[in-house]
Amino acid sequence: MFVTKQIESEHKDLIHDVSFDFYGKRMASCSSDQSVKVWDLGEDGEWKCTATWKTHSGSVFRVTWAHPEFGQVLATCSFDRQAAVWEESFGDVGREGVKSNWIKKSILVDSRTAVTDVKFAPKHLGLQLAICCSDGMVRIYECPDVMNISQWSLQHDIQTKFKCSCLSWNSSRMHPPMIAVGSDDNNPSGGGKCQVFEYNDSTRKWTKVETIVAVTDPVHDVAFAPNLGRSYHLLAIASKELKIISLTPLGRDSVIGNQSVVSRFEMKQVASFTDHESPVWRVSWNVTGTVLSSSGDDGCVRLWKANYLGRWKGISILKGDASQTRQDRNFSANPSQNPAGAVRYIQQAPVHNASHLVRH
Amino acid sequence: MAERERDIQTCCISDTSCQFGLQSVWGTGNQLFLFPGKNPLLSNERRPATGKNEQIREVQWDIDLHHPVLRKMVNDSHNIFVNLQRQATQLTGAAFHTQILNSSRHYRATQKAYLKDLDDMIGSTRDEEQRQQYMEHLKLLNISELIWSLCEILFIESPVGGLVVPKLLDWLKLHFITAGRLFDDLMKEEQPESKTTYWDTIFRLVLQGQIEKACRLLSLHSARQTDDFQTLINLLKRMPQLSNVYKGSSVAEFDMKWRHWRDECQRNYEEQKFSINPNLETVVRILCGEDAVFSEVKDCCDPWYHMLISKALYQDPTVKACDLHYYIQGCQDAYRSTTRLGELDSILLSALESDVYQVIKDSRTVFSNGWFVAHLTDLLHHCGQLDSHRLQFGSDLQREFLLLEYAGSLMSHHSLWIVGVSYLDHCAEFGRKYLELYLDHIPLDSEKKANKILKICEDRNMTEQAKSICKVMGMRCIRNKRLGAALTWFLRSKDVGFATVLAEKYLLEYSESGEFTNLDLIDYLGPSMLLSNRLTFLGKYREFHKLYSEGEYHAAGDLLLALLQARLAPKQFWITLLIDALPLLEKTELIFSSQQTRELMKCLEELTTEYKLGKKRDGLGFTEARKDQLDVLKLALSRNLPKAILQEGTVNLL
Repeated sequence: MFVTKQIESEHKDLIHDVSFDFYGKRMASCSSDQSVKVWDLGEDGEWKCTATWKTHSGSVFRVTWAHPEFGQVLATCSFDRQAAVWEESFGDVGREGVKSNWIKKSILVDSRTAVTDVKFAPKHLGLQLAICCSDGMVRIYECPDVMNISQWSLQHDIQTKFKCSCLSWNSSRMHPPMIAVGSDDNNPSGGGKCQVFEYNDSTRKWTKVETIVAVTDPVHDVAFAPNLGRSYHLLAIASKELKIISLTPLGRDSVIGNQSVVSRFEMKQVASFTDHESPVWRVSWNVTGTVLSSSGDDGCVRLWKANYLGRWKGISILKGDASQTRQDRNFSANPSQNPAGAVRYIQQAPVHNASHLVRH
Repeated sequence: MAERERDIQTCCISDTSCQFGLQSVWGTGNQLFLFPGKNPLLSNERRPATGKNEQIREVQWDIDLHHPVLRKMVNDSHNIFVNLQRQATQLTGAAFHTQILNSSRHYRATQKAYLKDLDDMIGSTRDEEQRQQYMEHLKLLNISELIWSLCEILFIESPVGGLVVPKLLDWLKLHFITAGRLFDDLMKEEQPESKTTYWDTIFRLVLQGQIEKACRLLSLHSARQTDDFQTLINLLKRMPQLSNVYKGSSVAEFDMKWRHWRDECQRNYEEQKFSINPNLETVVRILCGEDAVFSEVKDCCDPWYHMLISKALYQDPTVKACDLHYYIQGCQDAYRSTTRLGELDSILLSALESDVYQVIKDSRTVFSNGWFVAHLTDLLHHCGQLDSHRLQFGSDLQREFLLLEYAGSLMSHHSLWIVGVSYLDHCAEFGRKYLELYLDHIPLDSEKKANKILKICEDRNMTEQAKSICKVMGMRCIRNKRLGAALTWFLRSKDVGFATVLAEKYLLEYSESGEFTNLDLIDYLGPSMLLSNRLTFLGKYREFHKLYSEGEYHAAGDLLLALLQARLAPKQFWITLLIDALPLLEKTELIFSSQQTRELMKCLEELTTEYKLGKKRDGLGFTEARKDQLDVLKLALSRNLPKAILQEGTVNLL
């Protein structure tokens, strides 16, 4: 049974990204209208906008939260070739309805083209973030002093040689730092559109460890699943189809040059779904990495889950219906699917074939 | 057995902006946030103003466990679960089996209690929509109790000698109450036989094995004295009761008796004694276990599983649970309809076929929250019903998977998460990892909650998580300018880095304002002072101030010097320390000995040299005021030295 609630975002244009802090109690949204909004979940279960500000001189593509260990910190990236880091400053704390202030702490201006994605590193790597741009550069910045987040220094830049559209950090602590970068380059001869980079402690450099050749269509989103005691990594790729790839580290036996050793992986395509029948735009994992959501050009959001044997299949579809805008509170099943008179045992869960419910 | 897969659930979102696509982002637990739009093209596109503000939709599913009414059931069943796990480690064999059975009964009791609560709430609520919701819950719960009790009989109970019919009869009596109800109604009548339901009721009672009641009804018939009635009542009274088997007689004995009895019924029937009254004849035919008669009275033993049990009673009462499935086809054929088998029926079918896995699988689709499957699977696992030869992996994995799911659905709730933690503790394979992850994500709403979570981490040696929580809380305090509270958090997690940072902040505060805040905290640092050098310095420095204010000048002086000599103080602070020495030097009594005075002079010299040579990193020279102060200090020191020497009389003038 689905229960939906609406939140008036007051964004005047398409929302590009919504991001939650670690606890799910704060939300940030950014939009084509060049503004960023921060929302807080109140005691009453309603979301209230506690801050809104205009920023960047172009569409804001992505907004993301840092881990609360570093305080209340946001990062945004935009078409205007910049990425910015924001910190909340507390006004009068405790007063009802007070709007908090977000201060721009730092602007990262090294990019020469639009910045398409910005993501904070997992917290065990300290306060770091990675941005990728459409000219193929991936840059990694670090803030060494957590108490003063105006100081960010460029630590690494990686030339990926393709037009980057998205990136994702691997959050596993048991493995060296890893980033997957995807490209939405339309050129089919460009080879694999998703590359995986790993940080090598001894050379202190990021090197490419894998190119996922199975994916040759433009990639719009990549996401590593949270690693929960698995020996392999799961990467979801949103491209012409939805693919889930597993990467199993094979032990360090490959040598490049004289000394540096690079991890090798066994890559397996665990699942591939064409249900969207159109390009898939976004993929997102739930907190435990057990359910994946994908959204596609068909206007649907689909949820996928694996059974305990590791087989993935779809479990739910949320369909966007553009014919009208409806105000709905506690909207459950699509009424047209339940013929009147059928007794429903399953609590308002929409069923396709109501005739297989038997009156007892 | 064909795989019955769950149908995909669909939900519709109406919004004209959906023409641009729909995107989603996860919240906590079973929560998605949807917003129209898709990945932007890399042009700075803006749509023409539509005058409409965009909307974000929050979608949640399967959150019925969070409903306050269900919470009691969650808590009760949690207690049962934990007890069972504990007993699993302590008991084995028959003793454990009894416990499993008890647990199963307790689970059913909680379901029944919840049923009752729901009933009350339906009665008392006025909101129609709420009422509907509760009624749905009620229906579902009835089904769940039905299935559970059948599973208990077939899988867990393993009754005496493998006999299963007596328990099934009890089950029938409890869940199919029409017969009993009709009986009660009829017994109130003067002339029950005149009612149309008379014979119907008798059939029902006989089919349920409620012989005594059937006899009573028959004895009220006006024609009871006739031969055929008497014969029938006699036969009924002499029907061997399965309950006797429990009282001592063996199965073989019973079987023999029963066969004799049935032969007698058969004989009576063939002798056409009941040909006058077709109803009586029907009863006898039932007693003989004739197949055809069951189809005739099928309305009285609706649905097919009722008929199955009735057939078993009269055709083979000593049947074993594993052989029940032979009856299934026949019974289903009698009720053949055009509709597909309902979900409830499928589950019961699987249970009667002893297909435990299918039961679990189908139950998952019927009950959207994981409560039912998680607990039932756990129970079945403990009684060895989930044997691993059917799976590549251990049966434990299946159980664990379901428990993880169930626990997961609890973790996003603001108070049920504690229960979730407990379940995760009992998942040997992945529980710990999952717990670490979930604990990271539990909102730290208050200090109390943070402490609770910390205790959980500490009990399980999850040092990373503990440290992280302390860091988050500490950071929060710092941002709120509550340095004392922040320090407490960092001390708790033994975070050296942050403790140092805070100590420096304190010292900075002091050098700017001349005062300490949070004196209490610094005074009672105790051994935790040793966590970081800065912190130690801070503690000692405060001690110095205390000594001074208490008039213990000598001790204060000694301490001050010790701090300088041990190089415990950061260079920036030396000036302050040295200036602090000034009042001590200006006292009439001698505080510093000559040796100490020389030390102080040395320190002062070192400090000024450094500044002069510009070696200090911050490159700040002394301000005029500072320079004056230092001059005064130099003077005071040089005045103190001869005083000290004189007093000590130690200088050898030679």
